[in-house]
Amino acid sequence: MRMTKIYEGAYQWIMLGRDEHKPEKIIDTNQYMVRTANRCLLIDPGGIELFAPMLAAVLHHAPVEEITDLFASHQDPDIISSLGLWDQALPNAKLHASALWEGFLRHFGCETIEYVPIPDHGGVINLGSTELQIVPAHYLHASANFHIYDPHAKILMSGDVGAALEAPAMPVFVENFDMHVEKMRYFHQRWMPSNQAKRAWIDRVRKLDIDILAPQHGRMFKGDDVKRFLDWFEALQVGIAV
Amino acid sequence: MQVNQTKSQFVAVASIAAELSAVMEVAKEISLAAANAKAIAFRAGEKAKGFQPITDFINELAKDTIELVNNINEYAFHLYRLTVNEQRMTEACRRFEKVGQLAVGARYADSLNAPLQQVRQRNQVCHREFIIQVSELLIKLADVMHPARAARVIAANSRIEASQAGEYLQSLQAVAESVDNAAQIINDKVHKCRSALTIINVAE
Repeated sequence: MRMTKIYEGAYQWIMLGRDEHKPEKIIDTNQYMVRTANRCLLIDPGGIELFAPMLAAVLHHAPVEEITDLFASHQDPDIISSLGLWDQALPNAKLHASALWEGFLRHFGCETIEYVPIPDHGGVINLGSTELQIVPAHYLHASANFHIYDPHAKILMSGDVGAALEAPAMPVFVENFDMHVEKMRYFHQRWMPSNQAKRAWIDRVRKLDIDILAPQHGRMFKGDDVKRFLDWFEALQVGIAV
Repeated sequence: MQVNQTKSQFVAVASIAAELSAVMEVAKEISLAAANAKAIAFRAGEKAKGFQPITDFINELAKDTIELVNNINEYAFHLYRLTVNEQRMTEACRRFEKVGQLAVGARYADSLNAPLQQVRQRNQVCHREFIIQVSELLIKLADVMHPARAARVIAANSRIEASQAGEYLQSLQAVAESVDNAAQIINDKVHKCRSALTIINVAE
């Protein structure tokens, strides 16, 4: 699994993805790790098929006992169906996920890990030396959905917002926004159900200072491409299936 | 622990649940037959005097069977939970071993050793408990066979008593047949449960 450091300060952000051994028919996903001196947060740690390469990659940066926090943006299997395995592997971990999804996520197995329910208005994840904001992104696309914003690193992990479907082994950052648009259009129009929810999210996110917008599929956006994406998404009609 | 073994455990436990559900239905049928027989015997009066205590006995057997099956159902559910846990831990062992292969050279690869050992131990404990529960369930199932066998004896006696019941002969013989058939079905179903469990034991 490819590991890309996207922030280096008093702590690190690492993007993990582009696993070359991924089974062909499962969707490619980006996982993110925030590593502090003695804690480690895994954001959308991935599906069950990805567990082994994901943990093997994480072990380059942190021992299992320091993987203290997991975050699931929503309940989909590509986000967190590996939960039952993390539950067996991590002796001291918490799962931060929507209160709404608790009864659903526990189907994956969650006996050792402490489930920390996130209320609809969001919250924070305190990693000791730093604190991350949990930003509501409901209906984008799941009915209870959250993103993670780091005001120090200026990174917004944006879940399925900003996602694109393209061939494996694509670069990790968008290089030509105009060419990238067609790889995102159908995904957003079909998976995002509500223009109202989209506008609320854009209003909220425009107030944040963002250097990197980091989606769960496809390439990340940095610098001016973040604003280009927000403008493009704002103008896009979503919910096209009805 | 092989993945196929937990799969066969799932199949066995599901089979037992299905067969027990059928046994419960048949036991309720016996209970109904007993009530029916009691009504007929009451109408027949002196002609079916010998039949009356038999109906009570049939009813008791049905009640005993229902109680035993309820008790066994709890065992079956516990076996199901154990199988789910074992399956999860078997899967965890397999995936953790894969992590070990992929993480060669990783700085913190050794930190997975303790969780892997713990999962292996939990898996073994879980499987041992499963085997103990299977043994206890086999004994419980043998207990269900007793009322079923007794019901067949009662059915034979009922036929004799029915033969002296004049115009009620056919009705009471039908009751006897019904009890006999039900007892045979229970016997077969319980036998299937025992076979399913024995296969798991033999696989050990």
